[in-house]
Amino acid sequence: MFRKALTALAVLTLAVVFAPASHAQTLDEILAKHYEASGGLARLQKVQTMRLSGKMTVGPGMEAPFSMEKKRPGMMRLDFTFSGMTGTQAYDGTQGWQVMPFMGKKDPEVLGPEEVKEVEQQADFDGPLVDWKAKGHAIELIGKESVEGADTWKIKLTRKSGQVEFYYIDTETYLVLRQTAKRTVRGTEIEGETLLSDYKDVDGVMCPFSMTNGVLGSPQKQAMSFDKIEVDPEIADSRFHMPAATVGADSTAAKPATPAKPAAPATPGKKK
Amino acid sequence: MRQPLTSSFLATAVLAVSLAFLPGAARAEDGLTLDSDTFEGLRARSLGPGVMGGRVSCLDGVPGDRITVWVGTAGGGVWVSKDGATTFKPVFDKYCQSIGAIRVSPKDPKVVWVGTGESWVRNSVGVGDGIYKTADGGDTWTRMGLEKTERIARIVVNPKHPDTVLVAATGAAFSDSPDRGVYRTIDGGKTWTKVLYVDERTGAADIAMDPQEPNTLYASMWQFRRQAWTFSSGGPGSGLYKSTDGGATWRKLTNGLPTGDLGRIGIAVSPARASRVYAIVESKSTAFYRSDDAGEHWSRQNDSNMNVTWRPFYFAHVVADPRDYDRVYKGALNLVVSEDGGKVFGGAGAGLMGASYHSDVHALWIDPRNPEWMVMGNDGGIAVTQDRGTTWRAVQNLPVGQFYHVSYDMQTPYRVYGGLQDNGTWRGPSRRPGGIPNRAWESLNMGDGMWAFVDPNDGNQLYSEYQGGEVSRTDMRTGEAKSIRPAQREGEPKLRFNWNAPLHVGPASGALYMGAQFLYRSRDKGDTWERISNDLTTNDPMKQKQEESGGLSIDNSAAENHCTIIAIGESPKNADVVWAGTDDGNLQITRDGGKTWKNATPLLPGLPAHTWISYVAPSATDEGTCFVTADGHWRGDFATYVFVTRDFGATWTSLTTAALHGHAHVVRQDTVNPALLFLGTESGLFVSLDSGKQWAKLKSGMPPVAVRDLAIHPREGDLIVATHGRGIYVFDDLTPLRALTASVLGSDAAFLPSRPSELVIPALEQRFDGDTDWSGETLGETAVLCYYLKKRHVVGDLRVELLDAKGNLIMKLPASKRRGLNRVEWPMRLPGPKIPAAANLVQNLYTFVGPRAQAGEYTVRLVRNKDTYDTKLELVPDPRSTHSAEDRAVQVALVNRLYGMLGDLSWTAESVIGLRDSARTIAAKLPKKDALAVRLTAFATRLEAFRGTIVAAKEGGRLTGEIQLREELGDLYGKVNGFDGKPTESQQAMTVRLAAQLTKAQAELDALLAKELPAVNGALQGRKLTPLKRETRAEWDARQKKS
Repeated sequence: MFRKALTALAVLTLAVVFAPASHAQTLDEILAKHYEASGGLARLQKVQTMRLSGKMTVGPGMEAPFSMEKKRPGMMRLDFTFSGMTGTQAYDGTQGWQVMPFMGKKDPEVLGPEEVKEVEQQADFDGPLVDWKAKGHAIELIGKESVEGADTWKIKLTRKSGQVEFYYIDTETYLVLRQTAKRTVRGTEIEGETLLSDYKDVDGVMCPFSMTNGVLGSPQKQAMSFDKIEVDPEIADSRFHMPAATVGADSTAAKPATPAKPAAPATPGKKK
Repeated sequence: MRQPLTSSFLATAVLAVSLAFLPGAARAEDGLTLDSDTFEGLRARSLGPGVMGGRVSCLDGVPGDRITVWVGTAGGGVWVSKDGATTFKPVFDKYCQSIGAIRVSPKDPKVVWVGTGESWVRNSVGVGDGIYKTADGGDTWTRMGLEKTERIARIVVNPKHPDTVLVAATGAAFSDSPDRGVYRTIDGGKTWTKVLYVDERTGAADIAMDPQEPNTLYASMWQFRRQAWTFSSGGPGSGLYKSTDGGATWRKLTNGLPTGDLGRIGIAVSPARASRVYAIVESKSTAFYRSDDAGEHWSRQNDSNMNVTWRPFYFAHVVADPRDYDRVYKGALNLVVSEDGGKVFGGAGAGLMGASYHSDVHALWIDPRNPEWMVMGNDGGIAVTQDRGTTWRAVQNLPVGQFYHVSYDMQTPYRVYGGLQDNGTWRGPSRRPGGIPNRAWESLNMGDGMWAFVDPNDGNQLYSEYQGGEVSRTDMRTGEAKSIRPAQREGEPKLRFNWNAPLHVGPASGALYMGAQFLYRSRDKGDTWERISNDLTTNDPMKQKQEESGGLSIDNSAAENHCTIIAIGESPKNADVVWAGTDDGNLQITRDGGKTWKNATPLLPGLPAHTWISYVAPSATDEGTCFVTADGHWRGDFATYVFVTRDFGATWTSLTTAALHGHAHVVRQDTVNPALLFLGTESGLFVSLDSGKQWAKLKSGMPPVAVRDLAIHPREGDLIVATHGRGIYVFDDLTPLRALTASVLGSDAAFLPSRPSELVIPALEQRFDGDTDWSGETLGETAVLCYYLKKRHVVGDLRVELLDAKGNLIMKLPASKRRGLNRVEWPMRLPGPKIPAAANLVQNLYTFVGPRAQAGEYTVRLVRNKDTYDTKLELVPDPRSTHSAEDRAVQVALVNRLYGMLGDLSWTAESVIGLRDSARTIAAKLPKKDALAVRLTAFATRLEAFRGTIVAAKEGGRLTGEIQLREELGDLYGKVNGFDGKPTESQQAMTVRLAAQLTKAQAELDALLAKELPAVNGALQGRKLTPLKRETRAEWDARQKKS
């Protein structure tokens, strides 16, 4: 009797130990394959800076060249040019700021708290799926779902802040095909999505050269395509700091890094 | 969806038959994935409209600083507003769209229960498939069982134990069923127990919970049955019950209630005093009752107010005020309220002239924190009051209209026409600059709208109708309408018109047809009708007792008119071939224009006798071919029936496959590719590319809503979809589908043809509509390309390139990457002009975009890694355009000249900036008082001063008003670019002036540089510093090409 009870207990223990473990393993496996498909954690975490330049659509027949620069630990800068004029949005790890000269205002201004949250997340160099535990996020495997006709693993990420995002990882290539995220703006939830494709190897890092952003449920989409992605280009910290107001200067002064400008990057949900 | 044993058996039999008929070769495309995802890239546009909504069956809300409103609709799913009914979002679009009940869990507003299947069982009621629950405010839903209940009237959740939920399941309306009664779960929906049940004909119509003592419950049981020809409310099964043990046991309440058979009963417990219970009780003498001792004794209060007693099966919603126990509301034609515990009722917001909101009230939610604030659900959507019902705001951004039918006209852009449940007949444009707002829609007729057609020879004349065959001809210029209903003649029996009597315009003859039990044809716009058949129905007298329909409350609204013609189709190939389907199961054909008729009904394989023939669709390409749907749901048979004959009805083949679901309302064969079929059922839209051998659901952009009618626009090739719950959808341009062959589906990537793209006349409309106006989706001013990908593209390049007739690359377009069909749009403009930077944007929208592409042929190239695929794209002028080729040529020349001048100016300005900044950079590295630094700074200042003469460089806010060459040139380019015809003489003269100004400015710059640059560079070289160099035009051009 005692033996029997012991066996039962052992089975139960096994079940308890193995059941969640096998689930966790599946998720870990998927993430491991995802890191591997993206270039491998070791390679990814060695990258110090990136510069992505290309074009984004800002309306029917309207394109804006942009460039986005990122630097560890958490700096980013986006410049985009529209109709000859260049706007900038940046975050240096502490302060978010922007220059939007299109209506005659050339001086930089500090970003509001909602926008700062936005650029702060964009500045997370590896994205939330890497080192998610250390960053305080929670991850859960929801199941399989079709994204544009491809089978994907749907993964739920709950950020440390409580914000929920979903990542859809291709079951074939283990690259992210889609991500959705909810943002709360002045108490109102807006859910955005990004579709990713045209992955190419850049110095050992798999980079999506095409993204489409939109608000979930709205047919309006913003397409971004990258002409060039540079891994570890030289970028000075000063590019991310907010410049002093340039009294007397003009809006031609804020020069983008390359020909170009920045873009609303992989952050879904923000752009209408 | 519920499938009784008999019908699923039949469906299986039909399937077996249809499979047996398939030749083996037809399976050649086996192994290919042909499913909804294949067609996901063909996104339907929702036209709405929102100006009139559709029936709302239930509501719930969450009070707070921001009020949440949950809306359950009769056929358009679940919507939620988190901003106090300003905007709404559909949150149930993957699931059954007929909703009966919504309840927000009292402890956690993110937990919401939805019972599918509306319980207001009018003739057009939908069917549910169980109860659903969300734990995240509607993002994700899980079905929690009760799949076979078909209809759920009400859900209550125990506030102390939110995992305890009770459900009043009304059940099947059209058949016996044991799956009805009161169900209870105590584990959040994992398991259910049927705790109150009477018999297979009696369902639960309502349930109410004591707000203080949730173990005390009241439930009403209702014996009822709807059949195609009659409705019966009431019987010995009906009764009012009470439980005091949380629903485990129930006791019938009778004290003070009417003796004899009861009908539908609606219940409300006062949140302000739980012993006060109200009930509307249908009986031979329907009245409003109240109890002051928790249901033990009842007293009759009011039986005189029409809104109290009217149509109990449809109006039985009672809501007690959250604060004042004597105040109670009841919905009916209008919302009425009693302030004295139910004795006297008066209209809430309904003056002598009637209410401002839509009639037929089915739901009411009162904000418990502020009972002045209420939301009402009615046959037209919802309305909101902030003064306890005195005034109402009709919500006009809930596009849940229940169309019965749809048609189109031949205007450019074409307009769609259709009739809706209780919302008349409307017309709206298929496209409009910036979207299709509510104000673009026009009301054309009243009542329950059905068919509507524009006369094929006179676009101003509309034929439309309301229920029971009330057809009229309207001159749409004036609104003058003439009734043209066929009339009973001497010696004839009374005419029988269906609720949804068929009106038809013969595609071959142009004649107007109308069906009663006889078929009528008119060749003079309805002024004279010729009867071209005898009674085509079974003329069963047992099915013609609508005067007795209703049960306890006679309800003869034309909704049960039976033994009538319901579907008419004249062959587009031969006006003498006409098909007629009847609601009692006859399918008749004449091949001699009505002289003789043949009943083809018994030949439909697997179709039970007397099944409603819901649609006849003669082929556009072959006069012997006709497609037919049949609808058995009227007897609880939810199988999908679709058939084809290719020999005038001599033999029939079933086209039903396992991929289909929902009872069938409509089938259409494409007008161009005879193998392309569309089928509308209660649960959505299906497409077949191979004459019905394989079907896939078309669901991109639309939920699984009932599809009641389909039309194909003959000029545009659009598929127009009438849904019974989500308004009208358009699938633009069927050309790619028409060309989607097995060989295309087998290829890795392939272009599909599209219709020629019209260079739509550009138009703008200024709107500040706020967030409460609905805007239907329009087509952009774009050319649309379509290609097929066997797999979703992930790795490597995939882009679309546009080449001109000479093969020069015009531009690259972002490509769509999905598996199956993909659409890419090109705004038919060249890349935008180069514009010099300045203090402000040039304030003209057409300055931002490039010149219009010219009509003609272009090459489109799909680049997929190393593979390329080419196709031709044809741009044609907008047919509305009045510009001559000569005038267009003048515009093209001028816009190109201005485009070039902007480039010249940009180079000039940027080369100046380059020199200026280089000079400043070097100066900044030198000591401040260094002579060279001073010289460089002075040079930079002169350059900047020059720049200030060609662009507006004064900073300081939007309205500096400064205008220099750039501003004039940019604005002129925009103005010329925004109009495709001949520019004005002023614009041409201004171009000449600006060209001279530009030349002069460039000469000034050259002179300045000739004078100063050599000296500056000499000084720099003297200090071994790099000389300044102006960017050449060639260098600048090369840089533009690169970016």
